[in-house]
Amino acid sequence: MAVTDTQPTPPPGIAAPAALAKRGRLRWLVVAIPYVWMLLLFLVPFFIVVKISFSTTAIALPPYTPVFDLSGGLSGIWDSVKEFTFDNYVFLTEDSLYWRSYLTSLRIAFVSTVLILIVAYPIAYGMARARKEWRPSLLMLVILPFWTSFLIRVYAWIGILKQEGLLNQFLLWLGVIDKPLVIMSTDWAVYIGIVYSYLPFMILPLYAALEKMDETLLEAAADLGCPPIQAFWKITFPLSLPGVVAGCFLVFIPVVGEFVIPDLLGGSNTIMIGRTLWNEFFNNRDWPVASAVAVILLLILVIPIVYFQNQQQKEAEKAR
Amino acid sequence: MKTILSRVVLSAAMLVGGSVLAMAADKEVHIYNWSDYIDPTILEDFTKQTGIKVVYDVYDSNEMVETKMLAGGSGYDIVVPTDRNMQRLIQAGVFQPLDKSKIPNLQYAWPEIYKRLETYDPGNQYAVNYMWGTTGIGYNKKLIADRMADAPVNSMDMIFKPEVAAKFADCGIYVLDSADDVMPAALNYLGLPPDSKETADLEKAAALIESVRPYIRKFHSSEFIEALANGDACIAFGFSGDILQARDRAAEAKNGVEIAYSIPKEGALLWMDSMVVPKDAPNADAAFAFINYIQTPQVIAKATDYVNYPNGNLESQKYVNPDILKDTSIYPDPTTLSHLYTTTPNDPKVQRVLTRLWTKVKTGS
Amino acid sequence: MAAKAIGPVRRSFAPWNDPNAKPFIEFRNVTKTFGDFTAVDDLSLGIYEREFFALLGPSGCGKTTLMRMVAGFEEPTRGHVLLDGQDLVGIPPYRRPTNMMFQSYALFPHMSVWENIAFGLKQDGMPKADIVARVDEMLTLVKLEQFAKRKPHQLSGGQRQRVALARSLAKKPKVLLLDEPLGALDKKLREETQFELTDLQMRLGMTFLIVTHDQEEAMTVADRIAVMDRGKIIQIATPAEIYEQPNSRYVADFIGDINLLEGRLSSVGAGGAKLECVGTGATVDVAQDVSARVGDQAWFAIRPEKVTISLTPPADPNVNAVSGEVWDIGYLGDVSIYHVRLATGATVKSTITNTTRLVERPITWEDKVWLSWTRDGGVVLTR
Repeated sequence: MAVTDTQPTPPPGIAAPAALAKRGRLRWLVVAIPYVWMLLLFLVPFFIVVKISFSTTAIALPPYTPVFDLSGGLSGIWDSVKEFTFDNYVFLTEDSLYWRSYLTSLRIAFVSTVLILIVAYPIAYGMARARKEWRPSLLMLVILPFWTSFLIRVYAWIGILKQEGLLNQFLLWLGVIDKPLVIMSTDWAVYIGIVYSYLPFMILPLYAALEKMDETLLEAAADLGCPPIQAFWKITFPLSLPGVVAGCFLVFIPVVGEFVIPDLLGGSNTIMIGRTLWNEFFNNRDWPVASAVAVILLLILVIPIVYFQNQQQKEAEKAR
Repeated sequence: MKTILSRVVLSAAMLVGGSVLAMAADKEVHIYNWSDYIDPTILEDFTKQTGIKVVYDVYDSNEMVETKMLAGGSGYDIVVPTDRNMQRLIQAGVFQPLDKSKIPNLQYAWPEIYKRLETYDPGNQYAVNYMWGTTGIGYNKKLIADRMADAPVNSMDMIFKPEVAAKFADCGIYVLDSADDVMPAALNYLGLPPDSKETADLEKAAALIESVRPYIRKFHSSEFIEALANGDACIAFGFSGDILQARDRAAEAKNGVEIAYSIPKEGALLWMDSMVVPKDAPNADAAFAFINYIQTPQVIAKATDYVNYPNGNLESQKYVNPDILKDTSIYPDPTTLSHLYTTTPNDPKVQRVLTRLWTKVKTGS
Repeated sequence: MAAKAIGPVRRSFAPWNDPNAKPFIEFRNVTKTFGDFTAVDDLSLGIYEREFFALLGPSGCGKTTLMRMVAGFEEPTRGHVLLDGQDLVGIPPYRRPTNMMFQSYALFPHMSVWENIAFGLKQDGMPKADIVARVDEMLTLVKLEQFAKRKPHQLSGGQRQRVALARSLAKKPKVLLLDEPLGALDKKLREETQFELTDLQMRLGMTFLIVTHDQEEAMTVADRIAVMDRGKIIQIATPAEIYEQPNSRYVADFIGDINLLEGRLSSVGAGGAKLECVGTGATVDVAQDVSARVGDQAWFAIRPEKVTISLTPPADPNVNAVSGEVWDIGYLGDVSIYHVRLATGATVKSTITNTTRLVERPITWEDKVWLSWTRDGGVVLTR
């Protein structure tokens, strides 16, 4: 500021060169913040994990070798790099456990995402079509569960779903069943827990997409001879697709790596990749293999998403 | 106004100064122990007596401790890992040797227990036993009697014999989700060495568990406590103290559930949780002071009364509640004690085989 | 533009004057209320086949509600809406033989121009080849052939408007409803499109019902205009009648510019009436049958362009004349508006067409001037 103060004030609309350069630098800084964030909190940890995945397990502190010794300088690091091995990745292909865990996780995530979409869509639709003055309250109700700890909410489901739980007592009281249902410790309980926990992540983007939709489009469709149900599939649903895609990503990705819900609500016989990772890390204390499992998991998720986004972009460019 | 204000500022400064003093070396001890594992009054009494503030954190799996220790810089002064995990950590060089001159109460050590502890801590250099116990069978008396009048409640037949286990599948069999605890029991049941590292032996043990897998509702290391206590489970293979805790919870709830614990006649795993001091402990002297305090016979007896586990302090048996001392499911009689086995850590290869077999047992794949 | 060719047809088209003609769209005692608000109040109206009919009025007058009742988006609270003799009440919008062009155009953003136009045809299950032919026909009609593959967001406002028009015409509906169809266009484009619309309507031979708040638009396109106020129709007539013979101060004031001067009737009779005008301070002589009594309150209404302005008193003694002073002049290029302050304090406007280039102005500020008009130049309004 002191520099520009001494200079004659440039006419409005024309910035002095120094001020311009300063603005440029400031803009650069603003643009850089998210990149620095990504670098520090995503890329750096990721490369540490990748590095560990190329190491060998050892009874030491930390429990793998080689460990980068910065005192050795560049040549020391190079010596360490020469010790890197691809064995951990090869190992993952040798035991069917790993790809089966990945597949099970992907399957559970896929089924959950579809279930959540089916449950969330009518809710989001109802919210978007509710009277304007009600919408903030409805939105609040969707967000409200976040005010309670995630773990407590999952524990609450144990109380509902267990043999002597609220659900069974209610159904027995109704006379619908005469013996308590075994829901806890089954995949059903896992799906219920996942659908419940991730529902808001689907509702919010769907609501955002549906709320900005112009309702006269539906009138136009009706006017052109389209009954309401068809109009939903031809107009409403295609226009909400960006919300559907965003919601599915928001749900699918974390569910693939989900650990807590299957651990608390599920049985012992469903092995998801989160559990396999846990076993490698904690039971086998094999950080390198655990890291390799994590790296592959990330690639499985990131590659299709990047591909999908590229396709979207290409399509958008083609249309232009 | 001005004087009041300056007084406030002054006293605030004194408070800050005071707390800085309190934070200075050896006035605080950071303890990392299993959840629900100590009578809180012991901590209060320790602070009253020594002026050392106790910062107490809890965990519920050995893996948590092991991971934190291996990552280093945990900031804890005392941790309480279980035998084999402790041995691995000792091998990794995580702990510092005890300064025995600062722990005179080690004179009351129970030789029987410390002899076993030496398997994991050669020369008893690093560890002071806190509690030990067995892994056995907890059961709901009524649910078992309803289904099988002459149930072999003091035998691993309850779980490992398919004809027997099948009878209890509907009322819920829970098994620890821990290969380290269940596989030795299976090996022992088959007449193989419980500490066997042979892949062939381990595969046989896994096959045994797989044969009763359909009757097991869940493998989990803590859920069985609640499940037993409220009648959702009728059999649990778990740690003695956890099952006795379930017994007490059911009794408190007065829900008609009656839980009992038995040490299988085939023998059972004896495990030991011991106090160790990390190499990088910020307040090692305070740690030794605490270990010495808790090994005071009267104090450790109070701890046993609270958690229902036997401890490794022989002198303390004079002060332990006689009901607990006489309960052979807690303090086993000498014959049973001689049948208890211990296991040693696995090298990474064996561990991997074990984990893999365990996954196979649980998931069928 | 084929305006010349259709001129004679339009001139002779007046089914509303034929007592045997049956209305194509008919509102019978229609009332529509929203809660406490009455949008349409016991309204009856007939619109004839092939007519270009305009509903004109300020926002909230009920014109849009009336149109939406034809489309089926609103149902009347009481009364009936008939189309070609069939009662429309209870028929959902997607089964009505009407199509609507929306004010916002309501183009489907995820569909191309082609798909937008084909939407209604596909909905009818028209054979594919016919759809292709019809969409091409429509694209030609609105001159958008080369834009078929574009998405709506890749078009200009005017192009979008034409897509909306093509889409609503594609099914060749019995009635086309246009809801403020030109409101979003700029003035020049709007004027052009107005003529295109009338041309189109003539060629296609459809019945058009347009809703607008723009009186100029209504005058340009419509065969007849219904001026509405607060759920009621005030006057239905041809644009010329509405302009020249408004039936009320409301209509006179709503359509174009007008001088309204209050007074009392001093004589009424066949072929003429006299009004003691408070505003001008003189008696106004009007060649009009006034159906009111002597002594009743009335207003004299005269368009500014019907008022002649001169520096000398008019020679013809039969014309009405008053004197005043030029208070203000508005130069609009094609015309100039003079605001003349009378001795009574009232202001009267007079419009002069600038037939020659403005080199010198014969009449200027503060000039003493005479305003004059013929006996049939204005009308007496009693309400």
